[in-house]
Amino acid sequence: MSPVRRARLVPLILGAALACARTEPQAHADAPAVPLQSLQGRIFAGGLPPASTTPASNPLAGDTGAAREGSRLFTAMNCDGCHGGGASGWVGPSLADGRWRYGGNDAEVFRSIWYGRPKGMPAYGGVLAPDAVWKLVLYLKSLPPPSDLPTESW
Amino acid sequence: MPGRDHSANNFSPLAQITPANAGRLHGVWTFSTGVLGGHEGAPLVVRNTMYVVTPYPDVLYAFDLTKEGFPLRFKYRPPVDPNSLGVACCDGINRGPAYADGRIVYNLIDGNTVAVDAVSGKQLWLTRTASLADGETITSPAYIVKDRVIVGVSGGEFGIRGRITALDLATGKVVWVGYNAGPDAEMLAQPGVFRPFYDKGTALGVATWPADGWKTGGAPVWGFMSYDPALDLLYYGVGNPGPYNPEQRPGDNKWTASVLARHPGDGALVWAYQFTPHDNWDYDATGDVVLADLVIKGRPRRTLVHFDKNGFAYTLDRATGEVLVAEPFVFQNWAKRIDLATGRPVFDSTKFTGASRGNVKYICPSLEGGRTPATPVAFSPRTKLFYAATNNLCMDYEASQAAHLRGTPYIGANAPYHAGPGGNMGAFIAWDAAAGKRAWEVKEEFPAWSGSLVTAGGVAFYGTLDGWFKAVDARSGRPLWKVQVGSGVVSDPITFLGADGKQYVAVYAGIGGDWFLLAGDYRSDDPADVRDPSDFARDLARHTSQGGLVWVFGLER
Repeated sequence: MSPVRRARLVPLILGAALACARTEPQAHADAPAVPLQSLQGRIFAGGLPPASTTPASNPLAGDTGAAREGSRLFTAMNCDGCHGGGASGWVGPSLADGRWRYGGNDAEVFRSIWYGRPKGMPAYGGVLAPDAVWKLVLYLKSLPPPSDLPTESW
Repeated sequence: MPGRDHSANNFSPLAQITPANAGRLHGVWTFSTGVLGGHEGAPLVVRNTMYVVTPYPDVLYAFDLTKEGFPLRFKYRPPVDPNSLGVACCDGINRGPAYADGRIVYNLIDGNTVAVDAVSGKQLWLTRTASLADGETITSPAYIVKDRVIVGVSGGEFGIRGRITALDLATGKVVWVGYNAGPDAEMLAQPGVFRPFYDKGTALGVATWPADGWKTGGAPVWGFMSYDPALDLLYYGVGNPGPYNPEQRPGDNKWTASVLARHPGDGALVWAYQFTPHDNWDYDATGDVVLADLVIKGRPRRTLVHFDKNGFAYTLDRATGEVLVAEPFVFQNWAKRIDLATGRPVFDSTKFTGASRGNVKYICPSLEGGRTPATPVAFSPRTKLFYAATNNLCMDYEASQAAHLRGTPYIGANAPYHAGPGGNMGAFIAWDAAAGKRAWEVKEEFPAWSGSLVTAGGVAFYGTLDGWFKAVDARSGRPLWKVQVGSGVVSDPITFLGADGKQYVAVYAGIGGDWFLLAGDYRSDDPADVRDPSDFARDLARHTSQGGLVWVFGLER
């Protein structure tokens, strides 16, 4: 991906997120409210707390183009700065080993990105639209766990 | 204090342990801190009490050295935000406490500084100077000058605005804040007081950046400081500019990758020198700044010596910031030399990086540095030599456009490492800073990361990533003694006189910092995180694992 395109991506996403933040409560008016304490102690990407949302199934499931966009988002949103290139792990855990601290189904991974997690995973729901988070989920789930997971190496 | 005195030379006048008897050293006491993570910094021994600060969650232990088995006097557990672990770039490390006026002072990884009563363990004050929400943490060692506590800030990978903050030792209240970049008023750079030796003009902290670039330009402070009482100058190194992609920040980016000298009373900036203008390679200059009086070209000089990540060792006049000597102490290929007339490097333009340049191959040293700034060197006034653990690593550097998003990383480069010429990835060296020459070296298979200690007894100590703690003859480098300590050593050895009048040596074992990330098997205690060892040092994890041990060695049975 060219640097110029990557630089443009973020304002577009931020614009979408702001629009989303305004409409989200109405769109999910009858969904159960997420308790406030779920955001306590979280860091907010962009300094913006996420609106409440209740992820269900991934509306983009099976869309390989969307997974590729998720790959670009993974870099553009600085996810690789903690989780490493290819999500193979750095100061944040590997997201490419097929193992998950907080559950690995699509909705659980969505929640981890949207609301953040303890020990420094920022909540991205304030700066990303739900579609963008689903793309990230698709990308992460598209990473094949290595056939020879290095569990027996040192 | 870290470094033993204000010169920060890590030299001890103790002389019971010598090259003749060092082979008899053996463990006399050890303690598990209960924490896995990079055990950087050094224990502090004050009045027969040994103080130990762990990595996150920054527990303070105080051991009674007058009693058999060194039982605890107290254990202090500060409140620390667990988010620190994800905001710290490279492990939740701590570089150690300082002591003054009956209190132990140290920095917490989540942005606070605490003072604790040295006898009772009671918390006296706690002051926040950095914010996790803005990507800021604190890893710098505590540093006390007179009645000031000087606090740095980390986050060169998170788009922070670097600075130091001076707190009042008695109350913890903020006295002044001096930024490393930005408008002169915020850098505490006053006309007539701030006189850099090479760079003239005003507003350099703004003019050498693109518009607003200095607001998110990094310039962290996470290394060891020093102080000259005669000049009343506090010295500290400043880290990398952000992001790593240099094309996003045209200009010198002052004062990143620099050393700054300030009056500690009011923070006034007196001089500054930039080692790596417009840094292309993440060459932080946060490495220690050791004060030594040397004879250079027949003339006694009051110098400041600094081993930079960029591979050059600099000997500066510490009153003015003039460069007296600048020679490579490891293999480097990004610069042809340092021009002493201008103070600037003569770059090799084929090693420039940037998003438009693609993957630039074979740059030496790597961004881990020819020396890590994470630990200090030592200087012996007896041998007139510096002792330094060094890295022989090179890198390929592929920069990319980075977008600043508050609370997330701001990096923009991928830079895998490989061994430098010769294949050994590290060495422990002795350096003549007056001549700019290496006196001797002991090669190490893995990068050498620990701090150094040298004694009047003529023994130098260091540790290795593969878990050895070693003693060598300070004059020749001849190996005297080594022992396996249970985990890689990334800490700073000390020596002290015990309550029984005998000399002891103490060191932490506990691999971490960058090497937590690079050794592979990142967390054995997290079943949800499995990864490959790093490509360039696949064997390292065969020889070490996470740990947290305090060791004391002595001569007597």
